[in-house]
Amino acid sequence: MTLLSKMLVILSLFAPLPGAIAAQDAFPTGTAISLLQWQHFVPRYDAWFDNWAQAWGEANNVTVSIDRVNFAELPSSLAAEIDAGQGHTIIELPSSPASYIQGLHDLSDINKQALAMFGKRLDHCKAITYLSFIDVYYGFASGYSLNHGNYDIELWTEAGYPHGPKSYEDLLAGGRAIFQSTGIPVGIGISSEIDSEMANREVIWSFGGSVQDENENVVLNSASTIAAVKYLAQLQNEAMTAEVFGWTGASNNQALIAGEASFILNPDSAYRSLQKIDPAAAANIGFTPALLGPAGAFGGTHILISVIPAYVQGIQLQAAKQFILDFTANYSEVTYNSELFNLPCFPATVKELDSWLEKDPFGSVPADKFAILKTAIDRSVNFGYPGVSSPAIAQVYAEHIIPNMIAQVALGKKSAEDAVAQATERVEEIFAFWRAQNLVGGDN
Amino acid sequence: MASASAALNPHRYLMDDRRFVGVIFLVPALLYILLLVGLPFLLAIAFGFSDVTVGNTELNFIGFDNFVAVWENDIFRQVFGNTVMFTLVSQIFILIFANILAIIFTQEFTGKWFARFIFILPWATPVSLAAIGWLWMFDTKYSPIDYLLLQTGFLGPKGILSNSRNLYWLANPVLSQISVIFVQVWRMTPLATVILMAGLSSIPTDILDQAEVDGSRFMRTLLQVKLPLILPIMVIALLFSMITMFGDMTVVYVLTRGGPVDYTRIIGLYSFQIGIEGGNLAQGAAMALFAFPLLLALALLMLRTASRAEVR
Repeated sequence: MTLLSKMLVILSLFAPLPGAIAAQDAFPTGTAISLLQWQHFVPRYDAWFDNWAQAWGEANNVTVSIDRVNFAELPSSLAAEIDAGQGHTIIELPSSPASYIQGLHDLSDINKQALAMFGKRLDHCKAITYLSFIDVYYGFASGYSLNHGNYDIELWTEAGYPHGPKSYEDLLAGGRAIFQSTGIPVGIGISSEIDSEMANREVIWSFGGSVQDENENVVLNSASTIAAVKYLAQLQNEAMTAEVFGWTGASNNQALIAGEASFILNPDSAYRSLQKIDPAAAANIGFTPALLGPAGAFGGTHILISVIPAYVQGIQLQAAKQFILDFTANYSEVTYNSELFNLPCFPATVKELDSWLEKDPFGSVPADKFAILKTAIDRSVNFGYPGVSSPAIAQVYAEHIIPNMIAQVALGKKSAEDAVAQATERVEEIFAFWRAQNLVGGDN
Repeated sequence: MASASAALNPHRYLMDDRRFVGVIFLVPALLYILLLVGLPFLLAIAFGFSDVTVGNTELNFIGFDNFVAVWENDIFRQVFGNTVMFTLVSQIFILIFANILAIIFTQEFTGKWFARFIFILPWATPVSLAAIGWLWMFDTKYSPIDYLLLQTGFLGPKGILSNSRNLYWLANPVLSQISVIFVQVWRMTPLATVILMAGLSSIPTDILDQAEVDGSRFMRTLLQVKLPLILPIMVIALLFSMITMFGDMTVVYVLTRGGPVDYTRIIGLYSFQIGIEGGNLAQGAAMALFAFPLLLALALLMLRTASRAEVR
């Protein structure tokens, strides 16, 4: 642990007043905000956040309360609160809340303020909070977690890939060889959950396909998407078990910890869990950036989006916006206390990031295990790539159209052509609905 | 005398009025139905004919567009089929098990009350907690059921059922459907059993004595005396169980979220995913309403059957 890291830990334990919080900005007595967020995969983060939020509250004369639920329940909780016209002040979600945009505050002001305060923001963080068609920021992204490959070094070395797979071709060839010789499968979900959605899209993007183009026209039914679907079906048939059709948010962790996956696509939470349970096994896990496909390499990102529902008004709204900006200003502590799970949307907020990636402050062996993420960050895109994450993209996710399309082919129930055509039909219906609401651009 | 009492206490006269007391007793039930069933139902109809979203609850009338969109949705047709299949198959098992158990639990045996207590627990357990328990039982990697099958040679390298260490209960299309039906039968059977037990207990003993005197044995008494007599109440139990199951989405939401593919997706879950998670409240409401005509017809048919059986 570096001296700087140690200092950060000590500072966070004593819950200091973050630099961006100024006592003279204190809010009137009685101001209260409540936060709804997910239970972080890295337990240490929640403990740190509670302390930080309380300290912020004391410094600003604001009562802060925090509730946490499973991340999969956040969209429905937000929907319920919007329609009830009451609930939490700030809700943080790891998936796009774009389909609730009409019930959310326009946060263009703090997004502009943040750009002025922190400088450059990563493109994918903008694309998942900004609806270009109506020029509105419906959310604020201060950080994200990055999907990357986690591979079993020993198994992949034996298979002839000492540095893990570099491309989807390698993944199929190596994963199949490992599965045939050891029975240990590749673990990429094809199921109705967020990790599968992300991983499946990564493959489609890397083969040149996508749900929409940058102008929000539906382009799912393409030769590239069909090729990606065929690839994933082949990968499932030859290198994976049926488990991937029932993949859940916990499956990546389970598979890696049980030593029953040669390769998974996940942020570093599964690795961190293994590191605590079995450091030796964790040392045998290597990272890869997004794999190369025929059209390039594209990594998915779980962007952490804060939204403020429209029912929040007055001084409470001001306090909420201040909280978000101050939280972003302290992203060094966020990244550190999430054990490098939360990466900054505004790189300038975490100046230590490169040094932490080059030498993991949490004892990884080798110490530079995370250095590969520097390449991975360059390959990362938002959920609606190459367009923005619109309400239509959010509904396509909610209905799990993409993993279901792929699973049908992998299970032999449909041809790739038919599955993609059927999925496209549904996606077009969804886009048409939101276009009628004047929230999505494009014309098909 | 009566008028003298009424003069002394006018409320006493009022409380002696059967119609007045009847209305008083009905008011709580009527309020419950109007506020918690009727109002949301009317709201769902209004939503179904509008373009309302989670974020914008302004009602703009768009005619039958949502209903047409739902009907033309290929996935919906499979989802509708799943819902009907899960409900019907579950009811068959519930009816069989509930009858058997009701007969057992109305007999005299040691530990009957304890057995009844244990048996009622699945119904008394909140459905979400019960479903989470079964989620662990059917876990793709650490399922205790798979472990037992592995230990007994049914799974594993030379396994009778599979060479794999797991059956992947919730990832296999057929097994996932079986799992959902199993959990529904497990949680709904106690209620049906209790209703049937009440029916069996209400059969006048002189009828059963007469059957015994006439030389009727167990099966004949059961099939020709008991079952016909409890038919009306059996229909009520079935109706209650079917309607509960048709509208329930908790079990599949917790176990499979509708997967693999759409094999366990049902109307309640799909309308939730579209309307709440996807923000398209209008289409979600329209989809949910598709279940209404079917349930109404079913309820009328069954109540008519029960009524006829009662008259006979």
